[in-house]
Amino acid sequence: MMKEMVIDKKDIAGLLTELTGEMTVIAPVRKGDNLLFGPVSDGSEAALDSVNTRLAPKDALFPQCEKMMTFTTDRQAEDAHTMQDVSEPDKQVIFGVRPCDAAGFLILDKVFNQGGAEYEDTYYLRRREKTTVVGLGCNKPLSTCFCASFGGSPFGTDGLDILLTDVGDKYVVTVLTDKGEARLKGKSGPSEADPTSIEKAGQIKESAVKSVKAGIATDKIKGKATMELFDDPCWDTLYETCMNCGVCTYSCPTCHCFDIQDEAIDTEGVRMRNWDSCMFSLFTRHGSGHNPRPTKKDRFRQRFLHKFKYFQDNFDTVACVGCGRCIRLCPVNIDVRQVVEEMNR
Amino acid sequence: MNNPYIPKPVRIEEIITETEDRSLKTFRLAFLNKEDEQAFSYVPGQFAELSIAGKGEIPIGIASSPTEEGYLLFTVNKVGIVTSHLHNMSAGEIMGVRGPLGKPYPINELKGKNVVIIGGGFAFTTLRSTIAYMLANRSEFGKITVIYGARTPGMLLYKEQLKEWEARNDIDLNVTVDKGDESWSGKVGFVPTVTKEVAPSAEDAYALVCGPPIMIKFTQPVLIKLGWTPETIIMSLENRMKCGIGICGRCNVGPKYTCKDGPVFTLAELNELPKEY
Amino acid sequence: MNHRDTENTEKIKKIAGRLLAEKRVDAVIGFRPGTVSLISAPTVARTEEEAAGLHWDRFCGVNLANYLPKREDKIAIVAKGCDSRSIVGLVAENQIKRENLYIIGIPCTGMIDRAKVISLAESPEVELTENGEEVTIKADGKQSTVALSDILQDNCQGCLHRNPAVFDELVGKKVEEAGGSDINAAVAKVEAMSQDERWNHFDQMFSTCIRCYACRNACPLCYCEQCFADDSQPQWCGKSTNPVDVKIFHIFRAYHCAGRCTDCGACVRACPVGINVRELTGKLEKEVRELFGCEAGMSLEAIPPLGVYLEKDPQEFIK
Repeated sequence: MMKEMVIDKKDIAGLLTELTGEMTVIAPVRKGDNLLFGPVSDGSEAALDSVNTRLAPKDALFPQCEKMMTFTTDRQAEDAHTMQDVSEPDKQVIFGVRPCDAAGFLILDKVFNQGGAEYEDTYYLRRREKTTVVGLGCNKPLSTCFCASFGGSPFGTDGLDILLTDVGDKYVVTVLTDKGEARLKGKSGPSEADPTSIEKAGQIKESAVKSVKAGIATDKIKGKATMELFDDPCWDTLYETCMNCGVCTYSCPTCHCFDIQDEAIDTEGVRMRNWDSCMFSLFTRHGSGHNPRPTKKDRFRQRFLHKFKYFQDNFDTVACVGCGRCIRLCPVNIDVRQVVEEMNR
Repeated sequence: MNNPYIPKPVRIEEIITETEDRSLKTFRLAFLNKEDEQAFSYVPGQFAELSIAGKGEIPIGIASSPTEEGYLLFTVNKVGIVTSHLHNMSAGEIMGVRGPLGKPYPINELKGKNVVIIGGGFAFTTLRSTIAYMLANRSEFGKITVIYGARTPGMLLYKEQLKEWEARNDIDLNVTVDKGDESWSGKVGFVPTVTKEVAPSAEDAYALVCGPPIMIKFTQPVLIKLGWTPETIIMSLENRMKCGIGICGRCNVGPKYTCKDGPVFTLAELNELPKEY
Repeated sequence: MNHRDTENTEKIKKIAGRLLAEKRVDAVIGFRPGTVSLISAPTVARTEEEAAGLHWDRFCGVNLANYLPKREDKIAIVAKGCDSRSIVGLVAENQIKRENLYIIGIPCTGMIDRAKVISLAESPEVELTENGEEVTIKADGKQSTVALSDILQDNCQGCLHRNPAVFDELVGKKVEEAGGSDINAAVAKVEAMSQDERWNHFDQMFSTCIRCYACRNACPLCYCEQCFADDSQPQWCGKSTNPVDVKIFHIFRAYHCAGRCTDCGACVRACPVGINVRELTGKLEKEVRELFGCEAGMSLEAIPPLGVYLEKDPQEFIK
C-alpha cells in the first residue's frame, strides 16, 4: 500500500509534538556540534535539515545500556535469586531515519530473531513491535555514502513505515505500511499530495540516486572459502594502523555485539547489557586467560570477515548498509571500502 | 513472549569437592519449580548458563545424564568472579540455571556404533554425561572404550563413578594419570600415549575427544594413524560466552557460534574454520 | 607550512626512501593522503615504492608514537614536537628501545582541527585552500574565509614546543617557538567556574560519551595490557554510560596520564562526539608544570616528576 501526502515544513514540529502525546518520539537533535538521535519532548527540538546523524539510531531499538532483569542480592529474602523481567517498553516512533539506517534495522532483525523461542531476543523484539520508523530521504548523499553497493538507495523504503522527501518548503509523505498510516491518522499537518510536489520529489530522488557512488563490490567474497579469506596475506598490513577502539562498531547501524553484566547497589540488583566491541582486546578472553584473538590483526580481521563473509554465509546478506559513518569517524582513516576491495580481489 | 535470558531458580542440593586442590567442585542442582524441570529436556554434550544474581553467569557443560532424573550435575572450575562465588556457596542456597543450550553429541548417530571416549582433566564433564547415558541405554551402543587422564590421582573427577564403571564388564575403562603417587596402582602416562597403547579400532566407530589443547594436539595424530577420519572424531569446544544463544557475537568460530552451532563439532568441520577458540 | 605542504612531503619521501634503501630501518611510520577530506591517514611504508606514497600536510594530527609500544623491529617514525615528546616518554617507560628508533623530526606550526572546519562549513564535504594566514572553506556551494589560527586544534594554538625535542634527522629547518597563545585557555575557562557551574559543565560535556575508548586507544601513553577500566576484580568503574561511571573513567585516565601527557590532542581528535577531554588532561598537565616545573618528554635524561620522589618536591598540601 502506498499513499502520498504532503506536510508543510513549518507543520512538522506540530506533528511531532502531537505524536509525543501518544508515544515516545525519537528524532535527530543537536547536542553541541553533534547531531544525534534522542527523545524529544517538543517537536521543535528535532533537527531534520542536515546530513545523517553522528551515530546510528540503533540505540532506539537496541539501547547501549539496557536493563534485562532485576533481583535482590539479599540471600535471606524470600525471592532471593528470582530474576524479575523488566516491564514492557513504551510505544515509540523513530523520526527522520535515513534509508541506510532503516536497512540496518532489517539486518538487526535477522540477528535478534533467529527462529524458535530459545533464540528470540525478547528485549529487542518487544521494542521493535512497538516502533514505527519514519524515514527521511537523502537529497544530497555524501561522498562517503555507498548504500547502492548493497541494494540500498537514498530514497529506499526497506524497513520504513513512512518516507519523507524534502521538496523545499514541504515534505512529500509516502505512507508505506498500516503502522505508518496509523501514526498519521487524525493528525492536523498532513494533507493530500499535489502533483507538483510529487514531481519534484521524483526529480530529487533521481538526482540523488545518480550521485551515490556504488562504492564497493562484494560479489566474489561469498564464493571464497572461509579459510581462504582468513589466511589471505592482505590482513598482514591492513590492520596495522587500527587502534582497536570502538568507534566503528558503536557508530555502525548493524554492529550488535554486547556484554552482560550484573550491577548492584545495596541489595537492589540489575542484570544489564551494554554494547561491546570485537575490537576490544578482552572481548574474547577466557576466564583462564587464554585469548583466541590475542592480536590486533586477529580482531581487525574478525570484524571484516564477520560483516562481509560470515554474516553473508548465515543470513544471505552482508552486514553493512553503506552509511559511511565508520569512514568519517575512524580516528585513523581506516576505510572499509579499501578493506573490502582487498577481500573481494 | 518467552524470555530466554531469564534463568530458572534451582536449589543447590549438594556440593562435592572433586579434586585435592579444591579447584573443582560438582554441584547437584534441583529446580524449584516442577514445570522448569520438565521443560529442561537435554542431551549429553549440551551446556547451561549458571546464574548467580549480582555476580553474573557462566556457561558450564552438563555433567549429569538425562537418565539421572530429578537433578542436574555441573562441575565447575574456580577461575573468576562467578565461579569463586559459586565455590563459596553452601547446600540449600538458591541460584539460577538457563538452558539447555548448544548442539549436543550426535547420540542418534552413535547408536549401533562403537564409541571411544577420550577425555583429559576437567573437560571430562560432558563426557561423563555421555557415558552415563550410554550405560543406561547399554544395548543401543556397541563397544564402549574410555580413556581418561588427569595430572595426578587427586585431580581425577568423579572418583566414585569411575570405581563403579571399573567394576562393570560392559565398558573398557582406562584411567591414567600423568604422575602417580603411593596410593595409585593404575596406569601412568599421558592420554595420547595411553590412546596409542589401547589402540581403539576405528572400525564402525566414533571418537569423542575433549580436553586441554595440548592433549588434543597430540591425541589427534594418534587417532588418525589408527584409521580414524576427521568425520568420525567429534570435539567439544570452549569459548567465552555471554548470551549463550548466538546473538551477542562473542563466541564465534568463523560463521559458527560455539554456543548455538556448537559446542560439539566434528574435526572435519573444525578443519574448515579458523582456530579462534 | 601549507596544508598541502608539497615541500615537506617531498623531503619526507626522500628520507624514508633512503632509510629503507639503506636497510637502516624495517619500516617507516608516516602519513598518506586520506580517503576523505580533512584527515591524513597513518601508514606503514616498508618498500621504497611505499615510501614514495608518503605525505605531509596540516591534517597529519594523529600521534604516531601510539604505534610504538612493544615493537621489536627497527622503525623510523615521523614526529612533530608533541609526538617526539611522547616518544621520549615511551622510551623512559621502557616501552620501546631508543636504539630501534629513527626519529624523523618535523617542526610543526599547527594541525587543522577537522571538527572546527566541519562545524563552520556545516558539512563534512569540505574543500580547503590555504592562503598564508587565511583559509578559504568551500562546502555545499557556500564559501567563507577564516584565519588559519582559528581552525587549528586547540592544543596547537597553545603549543610551546613546535620543534621536536628529540630527533635523528630533521625535516627542513626549525621554526620559531611561538610561546603558545594561551596554553591554559581550555583549563582557565573551567577554573573560572563556580563548583555548581563546573558540575553542570562536566555533566553536559560527558553526556554524549559512548565509552568507545577512542581517547584511550589514541593516546600513546595508554599502553597498558589491561586498562583499569577493564578490570573486574575489583571493578573500578562500571562499563555502562551511567554518568558516574563515565566520569570515573575519564578522571582516572587523566590522572594516569598526569606528568606524562604532552598535550598532543590525540584524545580530543579521536573522540567521535567531540568531547574536549583536554579540559581534564590539560588541568593535570598544568598542575604538574606549575608544581614540579616539568614538561613531559623534553629530554631522554629528564626525571619523570611523578615517577621519582625528590626531597625538594613541593609539599604545600601538607598543612
